[in-house]
Amino acid sequence: MLTLRGLGKDYGERTAVKAVDLDVVRGEILGLLGPNGAGKTTTISMACGVVTPTRGSVAIGGVALASEPFAAKAKLGLVPQDLAVFEELSALQNLRYFGALYRTRDVEWALDVVGLRDRATEPVKNFSGGMKRRLNIAAGLVHRPELLVLDEPTVGVDPQSRNHIFETVKALHAQGMTVIYTSHYMEEVEALCDRVAIMDHGAIVALGTIGELIAKHAGQGVELELAGNAEAGAAAAVAHGATRDGALLRFPAGAPLGAALAAIEAAGATVARIESRQANLETAFLALTGRALRDTE
Amino acid sequence: MIGAAILKDVQLLLRDRGRLLSLFALPVVFMVVFGSMFKFGPDRGAPRPIPVWSGRPELHLDSLGEGFTVEPAPSADAVRHAVATGDRVAGLVIPPTGPVELVIDLAGPVQVRGPVQGALTAAVMRALAPPIPMPALIEAKSPPGIAKPLDSISAFQVTVPGNAVLFGFFLSMTVAMTFASERRSGTWRRLLAAPVPRWKALVGTLVPYFVIGCVQLAFLFGLGALGFGMQIAGSVVALVALSLAVVLCATCLGLLFASVGGTEKQIGSTAPVVLLVMGLLGGCMFPRIAMPDFMKSLGHVVPHSWALDGYYDVLVRQGTSLADLAPSIGALCGFAALFAALGLWRFRFE
Ligand SMILES: Nc1ncnc2c1ncn2[C@@H]1O[C@H](COP(=O)(O)OP(=O)(O)OP(=O)(O)O)[C@@H](O)[C@H]1O
Ligand SMILES: [Mg+2]
Repeated sequence: MLTLRGLGKDYGERTAVKAVDLDVVRGEILGLLGPNGAGKTTTISMACGVVTPTRGSVAIGGVALASEPFAAKAKLGLVPQDLAVFEELSALQNLRYFGALYRTRDVEWALDVVGLRDRATEPVKNFSGGMKRRLNIAAGLVHRPELLVLDEPTVGVDPQSRNHIFETVKALHAQGMTVIYTSHYMEEVEALCDRVAIMDHGAIVALGTIGELIAKHAGQGVELELAGNAEAGAAAAVAHGATRDGALLRFPAGAPLGAALAAIEAAGATVARIESRQANLETAFLALTGRALRDTE
Repeated sequence: MIGAAILKDVQLLLRDRGRLLSLFALPVVFMVVFGSMFKFGPDRGAPRPIPVWSGRPELHLDSLGEGFTVEPAPSADAVRHAVATGDRVAGLVIPPTGPVELVIDLAGPVQVRGPVQGALTAAVMRALAPPIPMPALIEAKSPPGIAKPLDSISAFQVTVPGNAVLFGFFLSMTVAMTFASERRSGTWRRLLAAPVPRWKALVGTLVPYFVIGCVQLAFLFGLGALGFGMQIAGSVVALVALSLAVVLCATCLGLLFASVGGTEKQIGSTAPVVLLVMGLLGGCMFPRIAMPDFMKSLGHVVPHSWALDGYYDVLVRQGTSLADLAPSIGALCGFAALFAALGLWRFRFE
């Protein structure tokens, strides 16, 4: 449905996106995960024809964006990261305008999809944050695109509205729409996406189903916290295959835990806490990027 | 798409009370205030009473000419008092012997004092000199090639176009603000993601404001003509063509502001200054006719002056045709092309 080949963007000296290869399969929900500044928005913008790539090519539904931009763009709906609507206008007036850009007059469908029909004639500035987000999505849907690209659609949204957006995306997916979903929220991606692409420093560092990514990059293991002579204990543990993060030690699954514990005790340290580590997307992400998903929090 | 863009921008404008006020109400306020402050032509309002005390009963001062009435005063000091307190602009004291005393505040602004002093001096000279029948010595006439002006020129002939041009050009700030806010909000990204050529995205943002600018000028000149008695001495077609050129120029200037102006905040702080200086140089607030030569020619670096020269001709000189306005319209289109070229050169779509 969407094919990116060697797609990259430089802003002067800075490379925002290196050279991304990606195939989005028709009918799937692809999650795009990455820390702040990873290049997610830039990649999406190039895929939508908003930003002109420095290198590489884009094809949407088999149509090359560079040679047939209008045919390609007509297949795609973009929901920008920012609230890209006119706050002074009503939901209906907004959708009519964005519909006109795609030569669509029928905006009722999009209103229904996001559940805003009964508030359609009110000025958007009276809406709650969640309702604005829903309208933001509707504005990308008016022309019933084959491919919907959502750039962090749930930023700053209360749990109730977030669920609503979730259900909306699932419903669209069930109707056969292909979706690219960028998020900072691991749970969202885990719950929603068939496959996940993890971006870091302008490149896709891993791509696969959630199961594949966890199996490959987030082996289960054990986490230890030391007390007593923690320094010496930690040194002993590292010698037995642990990785160290301050007073926190991590052993991969299958490490010789018995011998390690004996060595720790021999070094004069005690175990203050021991926990089995859950293998999930979060740990896979951490293993791949060395960073937590969100800068803050 | 352009129709939808016009509809959208008109809807946005109708919800924006501040912008509506500055486009339509503010210029009207300026027109009225300046229109009642300045007086041009023979219409100088009600005649002004001039207190007169005469110590020479044989000398009759019945009339002081157009614009003044004689107001007999009980004493010389009463005349001086009336002027000193500011009740009267000037007075005359005719002593039994010696020169007539013109009582007037010599520190008053020369624009007020000069005409009064001149008129009263002439009136006194006429009254004192024996009446000799004389043929008319002088008659004012426009040279051939310059159309005959209207018989009476009210201040609105000048303040309506002056403020229409000043505030008409403020459209460019609105245009630039629109670009900046669409970029900030992300609606510009939506426009770029839509199957719409980029030139059309640009034109679709400019055309609505061209239309709004035309409505604004139509409103201001319409109100001037119907409400304030502004006359159109020349051809209405010429007036319309000139106004279209003004709006085109303002719209293109808006594109230039959008390209170099930065964020909404930056545009909001720089554009008004630039536009006010342009308006001042161009004679929107103070007529260029009254400016020294140097300022007059300096004014030609801004489109406002060309617009106002054109408006003055078409509103005041009878028989002014479209061809007579060719220099003004041509200059405005030239400025428009320059602004558009610079704007396009610096414009960043992404
Ligand atoms: N217009 C631009 N000019 C210069 N640099 C830019 C521009 N847009 C993006 N960048 C840079 O490119 C890099 C990638 O930015 P991008 O917005 O794609 O990241 P992101 O993954 O979407 O981040 P976030 O999660 O914060 O939205 C960043 O370092 C950013 O500073
Ligand atoms: Mg982003």
